[in-house]
Amino acid sequence: MKEEHLKEIPEVTELPDSWWYRVYLGVIISNILVILALGTFAYYFSN
Amino acid sequence: MKFLDWAIVAVYLVYVIWDGIRMTKNSGNVEGYFLANRSLPWWAVGLSVMATQLSAITLVGTTGQAYSDGMRFIQFYYGLPLAMIILCVTAVPFFYRAKVYTAYEYLENRFDAKTRTLTSFFFLMSRGLGVGVIIAAPAVILSIILGWNEITTIFVIGLTTTLYTMIGGVQAVTWTDVKQMVIIFVGMSVVLFIIFSSLPNSVSITDGLHLAGATGKLTTIDTHFDLKEKYTIWSGMIGGLFLFLSYFGCDQSQVQRFLTAKSVGQGRTSLLMSAFLKIPMQFLILLIGVMVFVFYQFNQPPMIFNSVQADKAQISKPAEYNALQSEYETINQNRQKAALEFVAAEKQADETLTATAKQNYLEANNQFAASRKKASEFIKETNDDKNFNDVNYVFPTFVIENMPMGVVGLIIAAIFAASMSSVAAELNALATATTIDFYRRHFKKEGTDAEYVKFGRIATAFWGLFACIVAIYATNLGSLIEVVNKFGSFFYGSLLGVFVLAFVVKRARARGAFFGLLFGIASVWIASFYTDIEFLWFNVIGCLATVTAGYLISLTVVEDSK
Repeated sequence: MKEEHLKEIPEVTELPDSWWYRVYLGVIISNILVILALGTFAYYFSN
Repeated sequence: MKFLDWAIVAVYLVYVIWDGIRMTKNSGNVEGYFLANRSLPWWAVGLSVMATQLSAITLVGTTGQAYSDGMRFIQFYYGLPLAMIILCVTAVPFFYRAKVYTAYEYLENRFDAKTRTLTSFFFLMSRGLGVGVIIAAPAVILSIILGWNEITTIFVIGLTTTLYTMIGGVQAVTWTDVKQMVIIFVGMSVVLFIIFSSLPNSVSITDGLHLAGATGKLTTIDTHFDLKEKYTIWSGMIGGLFLFLSYFGCDQSQVQRFLTAKSVGQGRTSLLMSAFLKIPMQFLILLIGVMVFVFYQFNQPPMIFNSVQADKAQISKPAEYNALQSEYETINQNRQKAALEFVAAEKQADETLTATAKQNYLEANNQFAASRKKASEFIKETNDDKNFNDVNYVFPTFVIENMPMGVVGLIIAAIFAASMSSVAAELNALATATTIDFYRRHFKKEGTDAEYVKFGRIATAFWGLFACIVAIYATNLGSLIEVVNKFGSFFYGSLLGVFVLAFVVKRARARGAFFGLLFGIASVWIASFYTDIEFLWFNVIGCLATVTAGYLISLTVVEDSK
């Protein structure tokens, strides 16, 4: 068996919920921007 | 296809089997075989989530849809990011911390064994049939494109995928998914680049997009509210939200992906990867379809993209077919001329001239669309095939006829990859649910890891063969595909309702969940038969009916502790 398989898997420290809420907000804002960009793209080339 | 193309497809198939099979290490125990010992990095899980959702029919059908109907389909995905966030807050930590193997196992912890077994049974039924369709749809197209027998194509996709999934388990599925996603991305990017460089010298990319935009092919937001309209921002944001909540949160083929992640955080990140990338990726695929449309403004497109149906009709009624073909070619030449005039007028920046040229182009394009519709009606009537539709053949035919040697092989490999990545995840999930929710729960509670892994491999082989047999019938019975899709939509919203009861409604009890699920399915059944509501809304109806009925029935349960 290779050495790395003998190593203990390190305990994973989970990030706090407050950090995740900021990530979710980032996801929502970026997707709103993406949808607005798609709308602008369609408007620009359709007129 | 040239020798190099065949070689690329052959190398891809051999590589994917070898790559899958060599993943057998750490798959000897039950957690390793079904959950990769919960050790996979977020990016691999995230790519696997995306590869599982992106089936071959999505890849080929979406480009074809963009060619004929434009980008409206992208609205279907607008609810996905929000669905992913909701699942990151609820399903991911709940499932992960409960240390379950299947989503349905969680329902036994929360409610009872009866609810778990019923939901798992619905999953096996709908996905067992669904995976046959996932194989059948690209097999029909590839058999025409490659000149293979349909059954050969079905078994090439079905058995190669079954082989590496059976031996390597979830690790084989995930790591081959990663490589298959790379092949798909590279293939699609190369096609887009070649289309861009194939436009006439006098036509730039923006000119091409203006042509597509003038015909309404670039619509990405439709605010019109109509329950009978398939793709609007409302059906995407609301219906799509419920569909993606059910698919990513309650379907074992997706739940199993994020259960293999190293931690709750990595599971969340893998889902958020889709939240970030899905809409741009779908835009890229749709853009290829739109650019195929632009490409054919300056080249002669086939009148009918399904060559087998076209040949059949031409043999039956040669005079009528040739007359239609001749008329179609003349109309296409007129459209080509009008397109070039429109592009030239725009460059002169003369508003009156541009408006006139645009009007002429739109008229020529409408005539072209009418001519193609007429040809399509002729095929329906001549071949006695009321369901005839060649949208799914647009992209493969375009690739075979217009892409250079090597790229054709790459794209055919990408279509195989898209199909196999979805099929592998489905087979793995079906085997997991069969082993964990039925064999281990009801038949062999005290078995060893070796016994469960062995049973998991047998279950994978069984579902692989079952899917191939379903696929053989699905290619002959077009309506079966519709039946399977409808059956899936009955199941999805209602199952989501059970999980909403489990996660959110504290007062929910086992009896409420069980009968609420049955009530939800019955509600969708009634809605589908007695209304014209589009299928995306079934997910909303099923979920709301299940939650409402489940909650009310739960109120009738008298607590033991009282």
